[in-house]
Amino acid sequence: MSDTGELLAQLATPGATLTRTLAAIDGLERQMPDVRRVRIGISSNVSVDLLGTFLRKHTLLAGARAEVTIGNHDDPVGDTERFAAEGIEQMVMLPFFDNLLPAFERRIELMSLADVDAKEAELRARWRLAFDKARPLRQVWVGTLHRYLVPLDTGVPDPVDAVLDRFNAMLRDEAAGFANVRVIDTRAVLQQVGAPVAFDHRFYLRNTAPYAGPYLDELARRIVGAARGFGGWYHKALVLDCDNTLWGGIVGEDLLDGIKLDPHSYPGRVYWQVQQEFAALERQGILLCLCSKNNPQDVDDVLERHPNSVLRQGHIAVRKVNWNDKVSNLRAIAQELNIGLDSLVFIDDSDFECSAVRSALPMVRVYQVPSSLPDYPRLAREIRELFLAGGVSEESRSKTAQYRQRQEAVAASAQFETHEAYLASLDLRVRMARDDAPSLARISELTQKSNQFNLTTLRQSPAEIQQRMDHPDATVYSLTVSDRFGDAGLTGVVLARWEGEVARIDAFLMSCRVIGRGVEFCFWPALLDDARRQGCRAIEADYRPTAKNAQVADFYDRLGLSLVSEDNGVRHYRASLDHFSPRPVEWIKVTE
Amino acid sequence: MSMEQTLKDVMAVVLGVPAESIGEDTSMDTVKSWDSIKHMNLVLALEEEFGVAIPDEDAANITSYPLIRVVLAEQLQGK
Repeated sequence: MSDTGELLAQLATPGATLTRTLAAIDGLERQMPDVRRVRIGISSNVSVDLLGTFLRKHTLLAGARAEVTIGNHDDPVGDTERFAAEGIEQMVMLPFFDNLLPAFERRIELMSLADVDAKEAELRARWRLAFDKARPLRQVWVGTLHRYLVPLDTGVPDPVDAVLDRFNAMLRDEAAGFANVRVIDTRAVLQQVGAPVAFDHRFYLRNTAPYAGPYLDELARRIVGAARGFGGWYHKALVLDCDNTLWGGIVGEDLLDGIKLDPHSYPGRVYWQVQQEFAALERQGILLCLCSKNNPQDVDDVLERHPNSVLRQGHIAVRKVNWNDKVSNLRAIAQELNIGLDSLVFIDDSDFECSAVRSALPMVRVYQVPSSLPDYPRLAREIRELFLAGGVSEESRSKTAQYRQRQEAVAASAQFETHEAYLASLDLRVRMARDDAPSLARISELTQKSNQFNLTTLRQSPAEIQQRMDHPDATVYSLTVSDRFGDAGLTGVVLARWEGEVARIDAFLMSCRVIGRGVEFCFWPALLDDARRQGCRAIEADYRPTAKNAQVADFYDRLGLSLVSEDNGVRHYRASLDHFSPRPVEWIKVTE
Repeated sequence: MSMEQTLKDVMAVVLGVPAESIGEDTSMDTVKSWDSIKHMNLVLALEEEFGVAIPDEDAANITSYPLIRVVLAEQLQGK
């Protein structure tokens, strides 16, 4: 087995294959059983399981271990409640714009303005409720919405973009009301990775899994960075070398006029741009220090008199410009600022200095100026990201305050006290059909494909469904779910038999995309009425465990049936119809 | 390394089972961890590892070791 260092290097390699990444993650998690653990829940309206893999990767690279729980499909409120109850402290919410409604981007132009407004109001209410339920969590990371389709060039602004911008403003507005909610800019991720490699259209159409690995990798990297490695680091000061780091050349030899710092030519503009990034950091509350082997007067001259120096004396908190070794100087800087050495980031152009600091002070984060100078501005930006990802700047704080005031001014039209009140606003309807021949193929398909919400995993061919439909003592129920935003289609099946005095439920299954709103409970009163009409006096049903249906192991308990016996994990339930009346679900209208 | 061995190694990592356990009767029905999510990862991993693009129809249908071997052989021949 490879050692930890090798595996970490393998994991950190850009463009590593999924196989190598998975192997390295598994190996490292086995070798590092005792490191700090972070529990992360993921909630989305599309399949993003691979995000869990990449969160584990980047958490390992930050020296900790992530345990990931995947939520239900499109159930942010339910997921949040569950995560909070399970003591999960971090949550990633990833709404996917095109799947807010099926093929939303293609449909927006066909929808009425009122329908779009209604969807926005519903989302606002739902997110607000989810954020409110998430108060016990340490941190919620919520991704902004982004485009899936590339806009068509029609000479006018794209209407889909207009809706997207509105929804994003609303999302940020809602998020700003909650101190533990942090917005992640997914459009930046998309821009970085590039749309052609960000999406996998095959898996979006087949499995509602729109993202390819590179997008989720970069997203996970940003989340773990924004979380400062989940408490792994907290940088406060940037320590800068001077010659060939803040300017080109050596001020002691090239003199004040000879160093390269001209914004209008190469290579001066590289250093000038880099200084812009560092100055911005200072403005955002990061301490800048100098650590340079130079005559102090030469460096002072640049800061005070060079016409193009962005950094001035006032930017610098501590300067160690002398001929001492850099390790001693870094120690002195940390002491003077009264912060730990692990709060320092150090940047220098010299191989020798960088490796000396790395080996003597491994807790200091060291960056070397790239030997290919055009890469330097990008590195400076990365360093800035490292400091700011945690999001503590004054500017963003005042923005937050503004958002909060705005939010208070907004009419409370979208306010719901409870999840039930929200569900009631959805106008949920369930149509329960009996022996519906036109749906035969879809019913059979659902029994073949459903794995998770499936009590007995009884697979039925179309012919077998046909037999049941034709049989007088059997009924095939099919459930069609809709709400005021549209139709989710035929998404539930119950196969019942009337055996004298016993109503037997051979199968009950639902598509995962509709559960969590009470749909799975709402139709039982109607089904029991049928049973009584058939002369039944009791109902019997089984739960058969498979590798994939643990989530419904206690479903019949929750419905209110009594557990009669259990053998080999198979649970037999029963209830007398005289004493069993499941509560109707008030917010769902059941039609027959 | 032979194509078969690389294939087994990829499947082992993605599905989280020992490579030695993979054989002619390995399929979505016999491997508990092989669900639709793992299947997507498997297709992506195989495409990366072998440098091929598995056609969409095949991607959905290669749910056993022998079937994957057949489709990969076809793709590698076409390269």
